[in-house]
Amino acid sequence: MGDLLGFVLSGLVSGALYALLATGLVLSYSASGVFNFAHGSTAYLCALAYYELHSGFGWPAVPTALLLVCVVAPGLGGVLDRLMFRKLAGVGQTAQIVATIGLLVALPAAGRWTVELLERAGAPVLPAENQFGLPGVGPSPAVSWQPIDGVGVDSDQLITWITTAVAAAGLWALMRHTHLGLRLRAAVDDRTLTELRGISADRLSSMAWMLSSGLAGLAGVLATPLLGLSAHDYTLFLFVSATAAVLGRFVSVPLAFAGGLGLGVLQNLVAGYASFTDDITGFRTAVPFLVLFAGLVVLVRRQRAAGTAAADPPPVDYLAGKGWGRRWGGWVVAGALLGTAFYTVTTPFWSGILAQGLAIGLVFMSFTVVTGLGAMVSLAQATFVTGAALVAGLLMSHGWPFVAAAAAGTAAAALLGAVVALPALRLGGRSLALATLALAFLADQVLFQLGRLRNGDTGWEIPRPVAGPVDLADDRAMGLALVLLSAVLVALLTRLRGSRWGRAMLAVRSAPEAAAASGVSVVRTKLLLFTVSAGLAGLGGVLYASYNTRITATDFTAMTGLVWLAVVVAAGVRRPQFAVVAGLVFAVVPHLMTTYVTESAHLPVILFGLAGLALANDPDGYCAALPSRRAARRAATRAGDRSSAPPRARTADAYATGAGNTAPGTDGGPGETPSALRLSGVRAGYGGAPVLHGVDLAVRPGEVLVLLGPNGAGKSTLCRVAAGLLRPADGVVRVRGEDATRDTAVARARRGVRLAPEGRGVFPGLSIEANLALQLTEAEDRDAVYARFPGLAARRTVVAGSLSGGEQQLLALAPLLQRPPAVLVADEPSLGLAPRVVDEVFQLLTELRDHGTALLLVEEKAADALGAADTVAYLAQGEIAWSGPRSEVDRDRLAEAYLGTGVRR
Amino acid sequence: MPRPLRVIAAAFALLLVTACNSASSGGSTPSSVRGVTADAIKVGGIVSMTTASGYSKKDTDLGARARYDRANAEGGVNGRKIQYLGAEDDGQDPARNLAAARKLVQQDEVFAVSPMSSVTFAGADFLDGQKVPTVGWGTLPSFCGPAHIYGFNGCLVPTPGGTLNQTWPESLAAVLGGARGKSVALIAGDNDAGKFGIRTFTRGFKAAGFQVAYAKAVVPATSMPSDWSAYTKEILRSGPGGGAPDAVVSVMQTPYNIGLFTALKRSGYKGLITDPTDYDPGLLAKDATKQALDGVHVLLQFQPFESDSPAMRQFKDDIKKAAGKDVPLNMHMMTGYMSADLFLSIARKAGKDLTVESFQNAAAGFSDSGTLVGDRAEPKGKKESFGCGALVRLKNGRYEVAVPFKCYPPIPFG
Repeated sequence: MGDLLGFVLSGLVSGALYALLATGLVLSYSASGVFNFAHGSTAYLCALAYYELHSGFGWPAVPTALLLVCVVAPGLGGVLDRLMFRKLAGVGQTAQIVATIGLLVALPAAGRWTVELLERAGAPVLPAENQFGLPGVGPSPAVSWQPIDGVGVDSDQLITWITTAVAAAGLWALMRHTHLGLRLRAAVDDRTLTELRGISADRLSSMAWMLSSGLAGLAGVLATPLLGLSAHDYTLFLFVSATAAVLGRFVSVPLAFAGGLGLGVLQNLVAGYASFTDDITGFRTAVPFLVLFAGLVVLVRRQRAAGTAAADPPPVDYLAGKGWGRRWGGWVVAGALLGTAFYTVTTPFWSGILAQGLAIGLVFMSFTVVTGLGAMVSLAQATFVTGAALVAGLLMSHGWPFVAAAAAGTAAAALLGAVVALPALRLGGRSLALATLALAFLADQVLFQLGRLRNGDTGWEIPRPVAGPVDLADDRAMGLALVLLSAVLVALLTRLRGSRWGRAMLAVRSAPEAAAASGVSVVRTKLLLFTVSAGLAGLGGVLYASYNTRITATDFTAMTGLVWLAVVVAAGVRRPQFAVVAGLVFAVVPHLMTTYVTESAHLPVILFGLAGLALANDPDGYCAALPSRRAARRAATRAGDRSSAPPRARTADAYATGAGNTAPGTDGGPGETPSALRLSGVRAGYGGAPVLHGVDLAVRPGEVLVLLGPNGAGKSTLCRVAAGLLRPADGVVRVRGEDATRDTAVARARRGVRLAPEGRGVFPGLSIEANLALQLTEAEDRDAVYARFPGLAARRTVVAGSLSGGEQQLLALAPLLQRPPAVLVADEPSLGLAPRVVDEVFQLLTELRDHGTALLLVEEKAADALGAADTVAYLAQGEIAWSGPRSEVDRDRLAEAYLGTGVRR
Repeated sequence: MPRPLRVIAAAFALLLVTACNSASSGGSTPSSVRGVTADAIKVGGIVSMTTASGYSKKDTDLGARARYDRANAEGGVNGRKIQYLGAEDDGQDPARNLAAARKLVQQDEVFAVSPMSSVTFAGADFLDGQKVPTVGWGTLPSFCGPAHIYGFNGCLVPTPGGTLNQTWPESLAAVLGGARGKSVALIAGDNDAGKFGIRTFTRGFKAAGFQVAYAKAVVPATSMPSDWSAYTKEILRSGPGGGAPDAVVSVMQTPYNIGLFTALKRSGYKGLITDPTDYDPGLLAKDATKQALDGVHVLLQFQPFESDSPAMRQFKDDIKKAAGKDVPLNMHMMTGYMSADLFLSIARKAGKDLTVESFQNAAAGFSDSGTLVGDRAEPKGKKESFGCGALVRLKNGRYEVAVPFKCYPPIPFG
């Protein structure tokens, strides 16, 4: 029993650190949608800074720690958010994952480089080498007690417990009892809705990142005595704590916190009791990753848009329609030049480097398949490389010829790929990335520890192949052969992409359900994709190992795979030849840097890592950056030409007889009140698809404009434009006479324009009270709402998501009565409600009008809304077909508008 | 066949013919000896200096420089000065290790690489293939066998069919007053290397007469446990009659040792604790490590810095000169210094006409004695370690020699 208690208590120490890191992960993820793989690097930076400031500069322990945790770390989080995360929120998940992985590599290197520079400048810093027994905040060496027999506690552990408990309590108080916490929870629940309420989700996400960084900093400072100064260890620690984040399903802070604590205890219990695993080398090492993997597979719910879905649509092909010469001419010339260079200009050293770059380029091509084509992030590519090379080496040691051994190795890698693909069938995006990472670690720690497979530290010899007179032991011949092989693979992959199977993959990536409905097997396609990618990585691995002439089990670790991913995605994964470029850059740049720029080994690492920053601007990578930007500019110019052409159809003017309110014209004419909201000539759409073709509308204070139109007329798009969620391509939006066209949703909301979006405008995860408090900070305002709606008052602690549709709609609209906005845009407010509730909703809206609010009611069904209307407009096919006072609405006009016949010339 | 494939296939055929013609002319040897001129020998080094794990061996470079500086001050080797280019940093990355080897040979055209000290030696096959004499820390299998690669204190990786170095068991027996009836517990990391370590040391300790009460490779190898009680509890109950064993032998790295030893002491263990890695005076600079390692017996395979032999005085002198000031000594300096020393000694024996062949011939029958790593002999050092070592004990913040430096006969390892 004493044993058990001891294990549990001391397990809570690493558990506390896991909990701190996991909490930060969940906070930043839920506020910004970016899963921060670099979280551990922030912790490492703080540990390093603490060590340098405390031990190097001799600053006192506690103030230094406070400075780092409360100022420096949040500052770093804020800066990174401003520079990177904010932009990343708008790009695909792949770019997000890769960018933070790049940061994971770059941040520690930047820290060590800073120390190096400071040292050169003569500052009293200590070398940033890993050291042990570093002083923490408490006494060093730690004081230890033995309160119960067999259960020991030391001062570092005690400090970790207490600090973590205080941090947890503080966080709880912040989230539950402050307005900031309420807003944060709201932003986590529904980011867009928060913006529609005039609360800047960007500022909230900044706050979340700062909090999250602060927690990472705290974990870093606390972990200094335990982990020393190994960036690698901090990153591993982070991956383990990602398990806890998974337990919290990436959104629940309390669950993640508890999960972290539990994980620490579990690890300790396994260490203490799992003696049955003694025979499986690496099992104990692998426990956290087993838990991570199991947690992902069991706990992550299959989401509708989990990473492989529309969140990551394939990029537009900027070379579409170009001839073969335009597409390939440059590449063929470059390849021929490179091949010739081996026998003419390059020195033996550079021949070797280039051959190495080409070999690694083959491995990189595997990313083109799984990430470029499939939009899935696999962090297990290094596993396939090692697996294939080990198998090939093992077979060659038994006398197999190179080609047969390479084929067997490739097949083994493909098989491994199929195994890794199994979670991919359920998971997507960051969950898949984490699952493949867990599998990569499991392979490193268990599979590749098998003595027969790895052959100790000696590994296997993989001599360069010799075929007749062609001896690839010569680097030049090897280089040339690799150029040719790369060319063949590029051609094959390009054909593959254009093939039936490639199209199936694109379909699965964009919309798995739709693909399945069209007879494409999602399971088979994904499985095949992973298998092909793994096989390719394996083939590249065998060749790379043969360039090295040897493979050992530690040559390519899971962490190597992370760096590879950052390098190759930075170059671009949309076309296989970019992978070749990435391989060459990866091999050549460090040598150029040491020769011409700096001897420091840190700078190339920082640069490779920071390439991720560029992804925020060019998610397609640097190889495609220039041409695709040019293509985008050309497309923009073309679009501009189109929109400046005379409108295709007439607008509502011709029909707007006698409807002075909605006629276009300048506001604020003599004696006329300016419109609360006015759209003039608004064109808008999504990507290349225009939806609104020049819409004119105006609503005046205290007036209800009902916008009717059939399904697909562009009503919701119009609402989005009115609310600032969608910026019009052309035209002007005025609010109370002021030009508000370029407003964000937040700015628009602050001008007094409110959108009650289609569906319910409530935060389903927050209680009724919290929903109200978000808008009504004064308790008496909330009491007034409760007085009016006793149904809500009785259940104020119930989460809004569990209310009926009608109650939710009332909850969304009720606070507006207390603080009437200038404009309310209500998108289908009666949708799916019982008739009795619809009456109540319209009564509420009428009341709002009486308070002077200008209402723009958008409805598909005319019957309910017409009763409340002052003015009516019909929207058909993106144009106002008719508008006028309600009195002029008749059956024919309605039918005409709905059928769209009125606008046709 | 579609057009692009056709073009590529044609190019393939054409270029392969070119490749055939030139492949044979690739390996021609120049008439002069690479890196050797009338008055200089060019030598480079490969050392892990900056790594993601923060582990650095950069003082290896200083040690080598110190030794070469003295050689040059004494007139060089057979009239030739050593032109030491300094060490390339491989960052513990196999790719960079190989690239560094290639750079030294193909770009800098060195005659030899010494020191080479890293946790990876991907450049080994290349260096051996290019006939580059290489001397380094023989902790990797590449130091055991290849013709041109030498470990400064021999090959430290036992191979089945070879021999086992008995320094540790024998000197431990000396401390405990004989191995008879004494029990030891061996603990290592949970990976293949740990398993191998447990296997070899179990055999070694048994051969020396110890009773091996506990021998497990169980400690998670990549993330250090924050709590060691699970391991200490098992160890402390493993001895005869459920008591504690007489000695605990850790085959792990420093951070692990610090955790384990602290936990052992807190549980009241009074026996002997020993490990092979913690001889680093830098560890004494911090109170936490000083306390954790107090009383621990550390194995080292060279003369302890505390000994007062002429060779050791010379070593300290040379290091001080090269560093320009008094620096705390560590084993990496010794690695660099003695790698350089072995290279110099063999090169001196090779005579005035220094070529790779003459170097290899000189190495084939090389032996000397009484160095900082004991009695050296090649090619014996390609198969086994020189078999010499000492035990030091950390006491009151200082290392003391517990068992003086001595060479022990190895036992067969099957």
